[in-house]
Amino acid sequence: MSFSNPKQDKTEEEKLVRDLQAGKSEVFDKLAALYQKKIYALSFNLTRNAMDSEDVMQEVLLTLFKKIHTFQGRSAFSSWVYRITVNTAYMKLRSKKKEKSISLEELYPSFSGAGFQQEKIQDWSEHTESLLFANETREIIQKAVDLLPDKEKVVFLLRDVEGLSTEEVSEVLELTIPAVKSRLHRARLFLRKKLSHYFEEYKVRKELK
Amino acid sequence: MICCKECLELLCDYLDGELDPKISASLEEHFQDCPPCIAFVNTYKSTTHISRTTMKNVEIPEVVQARLKKFIDEHKSKQ
Repeated sequence: MSFSNPKQDKTEEEKLVRDLQAGKSEVFDKLAALYQKKIYALSFNLTRNAMDSEDVMQEVLLTLFKKIHTFQGRSAFSSWVYRITVNTAYMKLRSKKKEKSISLEELYPSFSGAGFQQEKIQDWSEHTESLLFANETREIIQKAVDLLPDKEKVVFLLRDVEGLSTEEVSEVLELTIPAVKSRLHRARLFLRKKLSHYFEEYKVRKELK
Repeated sequence: MICCKECLELLCDYLDGELDPKISASLEEHFQDCPPCIAFVNTYKSTTHISRTTMKNVEIPEVVQARLKKFIDEHKSKQ
């Protein structure tokens, strides 16, 4: 985005939406430019497929163009765009994936009957910065995200990766705030568990050197 | 005293600063005396940070960008 002031961005965006609704099709590329990277990134992270992401991006932009008159401003325009993107990406995925579910018990450490931790937890957090730019680390993280069930994955991508607020995610996905929070927590716990194996092993390797 | 299980269940709200200040203070009190929970919190925070940094790194390939421009121009002119 070329603007720097969020308020100004929003005013500019609202004007583009109104102009497009009024039939000024010449503003379409400006509106598309504001959102194309966000649409592509979310689609790519949901589908992990470049061709599917390109299809999703084109379909979403076409929907924005053709259905702009149906946008009534009850939610933020960005929420409307994200909702169309998620739905379009899900259409692509529908035939390819089966719904999985996560058991929370598997993601927490083991607790005693009184609710206290029983196992030693390794703190690998200090090693992550130096490893972050290694290809192997990026692949491990991407694979872990790919393994998330769809329900948790989409919340994680919108909230933690795209940076939407909990309220915005609830608007995009038409979920209650507690449902968004619970799915986000599950997603983070799941990823933490998957990444722990990798980083703990790295920590041991480093200590042996 | 609040137990580890309760602390970890409230972690998302705690890190978002959305807990009642009294509950938040009791979590902090617990963390002071509980190295396993500190390790859990650090790795939970780290997971969010490194996952965001990695997944944020998606760019539209140039060839896709070019096709997109053509696509947009075609649809604009159809109207």
